[in-house]
Amino acid sequence: MLFICRMTLRELRAVWRRLLFFFLCVAIGVGAIAALRSVIQNVRSAIAREARTLTAGDLVLQSNQPLEAGLRDRVVRVLDAADVRGRAESIETATMVRPADPAKAMARMVELEGVDAAYPLYGTVTLAEGHRYTHRLVHGWGALVRPELLVQLGVSVGERIVIGRGTFEIRGLLLSEPGRRLGGFSFGPRVLIDRADLLEIDLLRFGSRARYVTRLRVPDASLARLETQLRDLLRPALVSVRSYRSTEDRIGDRLETSENYLSLVGFVMVVLGGVGVWSVTRVFVRQKLKSVAVLKCLGAASGQILAVYITQVALLAVIGSACGLAMAAIAVPFVPPSAVPDLESIRLGLTWSAALQAGGVGVLTSLLFALVPLLEVRRVKPLLLLRDEAARLSLAVQRPRPMGAGLASPGIARRLANRLQRIDTTQAVVASLVIAALVGLAAWQAGSLRVGAAVSLGFVGVTLTLSAAASLLVRLVQPLASSTWFPLRHAVLAVSRPGNQTRVILLAVGLGTFFILGVRLVEANLLRELAIELQSDAPDMFLIDVQEDQVSPVEAFARKWRLDGGIQLMPVLRARVVGIRGRRLNAGSPEEVRERGGPSREYTVTYRDHLASNERVVAGELWPAQQGSIPDVSIEQNLREDGLELGDLIRFDIAGRVIAARVTSVREVDWSDARNGGFMFVFRPGALAGAPHWYLGVLRAPAHTLARARFQRDLVAAFPNVSAVDVREVLRTLQAIVSNITLAISVVGGLALASGLLILIGAVAMTKFQRLYEAAILKTVGASGRTVATMLAIEYVTLGALAATVGASGACLLSWFVTEQVFDLSWQLLPGLVAGTIVVVAFGVGAVGVAASVDVLRRRPLGVLRAE
Amino acid sequence: MIELRAVSKTVMSGGDPLVILHPLDLIVPAGQTIAIVGPSGSGKSTLLGLMAGLDEPTTGDIIVDGTEITAMSEDAVARLRGEKIGFVFQFFHLMPSLTALENVMVPIELRGGRDAAERGRALLGEVGLTGRAHHYPSQLSGGEQQRVALARALANDPPILLADEPTGNLDTENGRHVIDLLFAVHDRRDTTLVLVTHDVELAERADVRLHLRDGRIARREEAGRSVAVTG
Repeated sequence: MLFICRMTLRELRAVWRRLLFFFLCVAIGVGAIAALRSVIQNVRSAIAREARTLTAGDLVLQSNQPLEAGLRDRVVRVLDAADVRGRAESIETATMVRPADPAKAMARMVELEGVDAAYPLYGTVTLAEGHRYTHRLVHGWGALVRPELLVQLGVSVGERIVIGRGTFEIRGLLLSEPGRRLGGFSFGPRVLIDRADLLEIDLLRFGSRARYVTRLRVPDASLARLETQLRDLLRPALVSVRSYRSTEDRIGDRLETSENYLSLVGFVMVVLGGVGVWSVTRVFVRQKLKSVAVLKCLGAASGQILAVYITQVALLAVIGSACGLAMAAIAVPFVPPSAVPDLESIRLGLTWSAALQAGGVGVLTSLLFALVPLLEVRRVKPLLLLRDEAARLSLAVQRPRPMGAGLASPGIARRLANRLQRIDTTQAVVASLVIAALVGLAAWQAGSLRVGAAVSLGFVGVTLTLSAAASLLVRLVQPLASSTWFPLRHAVLAVSRPGNQTRVILLAVGLGTFFILGVRLVEANLLRELAIELQSDAPDMFLIDVQEDQVSPVEAFARKWRLDGGIQLMPVLRARVVGIRGRRLNAGSPEEVRERGGPSREYTVTYRDHLASNERVVAGELWPAQQGSIPDVSIEQNLREDGLELGDLIRFDIAGRVIAARVTSVREVDWSDARNGGFMFVFRPGALAGAPHWYLGVLRAPAHTLARARFQRDLVAAFPNVSAVDVREVLRTLQAIVSNITLAISVVGGLALASGLLILIGAVAMTKFQRLYEAAILKTVGASGRTVATMLAIEYVTLGALAATVGASGACLLSWFVTEQVFDLSWQLLPGLVAGTIVVVAFGVGAVGVAASVDVLRRRPLGVLRAE
Repeated sequence: MIELRAVSKTVMSGGDPLVILHPLDLIVPAGQTIAIVGPSGSGKSTLLGLMAGLDEPTTGDIIVDGTEITAMSEDAVARLRGEKIGFVFQFFHLMPSLTALENVMVPIELRGGRDAAERGRALLGEVGLTGRAHHYPSQLSGGEQQRVALARALANDPPILLADEPTGNLDTENGRHVIDLLFAVHDRRDTTLVLVTHDVELAERADVRLHLRDGRIARREEAGRSVAVTG
């Protein structure tokens, strides 16, 4: 044991520089895993701490409409019978706010919440300047607003704002409040008013998008029972019932999934490092043959020597992992606040479990990858130290001899038999175990055996392809070996000579390119899809909740403003699919419906007698000349994936009335052209004439900021219940969210890039030690430094180009799969990016190859030869 | 004592068997010095490698200091070597990442010796390299490297010392210095010494000279008398 420790330390003294790059790579991967897992675990524990504050109640009932009187009574009876300790009711809706001062030409969309005196049941409402929240602040036409709204409207605390038909005094600034949604999309800043006031300002008319929320305080003991009871009771009315625990679980599940996926990215980096460790170990063992032989000659057993090298790898892996953890510990507190949910109790820092997991993955992966090549030391024969034997039989590493080799058995069969017999069983068994362990590690990191296996399979695929490419390359360049140009001839010989580095470099660079370009391509495709640009003539404002009696006044208003392209008002209704082809769809609870995503959720539908300009019919006819007794409906082609087809009979629930309609056409909607909106269901006019509906307005608002603000203010002043969704505002919000995602992707991509670079430098530096000797000999026989440099450049550029090409092909495939199959977006090949990457990688490898070999070019041959 | 009974070695070369050593018998009594000489390719180094258990014979048995090594596992032979055999190579074969002293310490440490550093220094003193203990092989001349290799071979005080062309890579003066050391060690410790050499002067100093030709012992010379061997 003492011997093993001492030898390990002595050897490390000499080799740590050569192995540095690979363990840095491991460090980056470990750091990434630890940091990503830590941040998400920080968020999770903060959510667990604040679960009640997030839901603002133990049990939350939520619906889009006020409960019918009968149902309400039944709910009240259930609540009275149960042990309910507190009950707060609120209404949330998106609406417009403008300053009461007519001189200020501004209007903003906000998320209005009307709360009662019991609010909040849990958590605290935080106000600016340390003011304490009481219901008196909002009672009697008072409002609490977010600081940004003051700036947007140009008002200050104490001034008045108009919401709907009511005028409110701003009585304080809202910093945070219980019950807000995390990281989700919002139409605007929160405004808090009294629920009683909200009901009086004429906002909640037919079709208004509002959420009616009842929060309950219930002791933990009776929580589950009450939750089930209410769910059963409210299921048909589309009221969601959720406890703080199920909310926490749901968020927790989502976070766990993202934690696992992000860790998988980290794991891929560690594996890249591992591939580096594997290749460096292989070369390392070859360079150590003599030392191993000497040790054996001096009486060391194979096990002892193996232990020395495994200990070395383990020590470096531990040090590398520790470096990674240190990097993560430093980086995590600097994660920008915008990248994590806005939680009060969140403390960013490395967590023990993340650190242990990441460190474990780093050390295990390094050891696993080093093990197979290290097993070679068992086969080193001390005999190679005796000059003529070694020279004549070139027994660098002795393969196990096949039994009865040389017996006359014909051709391929004999060769196959020999090959089979030459396989070292121990090495084969260990290799299988290592692969199984790696799949296990991947599955552990992904939290799913399927994903883990898929990732491992991807790696194996790329590895095999690169390996095949290497063999092909060696064969293809063979003819060039007879070239008369010395550097080319020797570059070719270097690529194909025994014990060459072709495979190692191809693997390292190829895998690096594959992963980095893959991430970049996915990123570029995502960004392209998400970079929503407004076309110059596209509508940029939507009016919601225009009532039937407001259609003519709104049109008149638009005429007065001389809008480009006028205004288009479309009748819309809310409809829920309750049955298809006669079979009833069990609508289930709203949560179930949302999760299932099938057709039985609520849709906004319209009716018209023509196709919109962004639509075309792909099947059937809009509308058939013969109108049957059953109303006609046209579906969007995406609904076909849910099993809807031409001729199906669909039953809709529209405001409590069930209407059956037959699918007589299928349309394709160009969703990127929102000029005429997009509807999954379009009815033939007539069928819905009697049903209650409201109008959706589509228009292009004045482009100039001031005119736009005045337009919005005048509109709101004239039609207080109508909300104007400013697409430009929404796009800004969306782009802020997208830029956060982009940041995350870029950080991960950057880390991958750094890993790839390290592997490349490491691989080249590794081969340098072989090159030194050859270069010395070439120089001795008269080659100039420039010739040797050209030789190296040709060799590395060729290897780089091939590796990059294979890697890039894989990356295209990967990015296609991720973009189209996972994100469900359209994929586009980016030839510039791909070609550019190949060129950069090829010449990068060439440059790194030559630069890392400066020593080779500069050192005097004699020193090198003597050292050998 | 080393005893070889009907030992032969055949290897596969390009699919055909190639006889390197024809069956031979040989006894090297304890304390004897023996020089194996002969042209390149005559099988000298193979014979030496077989005595050290660095390779397995195709046929025959090898007994080293009373232990039959032919049937032993590789690791067992390695342990035996560490204990009983010191080996000196033509190309020194020091471990480049270790200092002179550390190179000498390795065999002692392998056997679990506690006084490795102390003994290592003493051995380096014995070969006249006290001042070079902390130099790496690349910082030493060829003669010095070979003396370190000799010190390493003596580390566990083995009863048998095998040397493969120990002066083959050295100039005359350094070569003589190493030879003197080898024989001084033999005299002091009464080791069995087997040398493979081209160096006539070195061969002359051995008790027995064994001439190899084409894998057979062609002649055996013993302190003035010469015996032709037909095989």
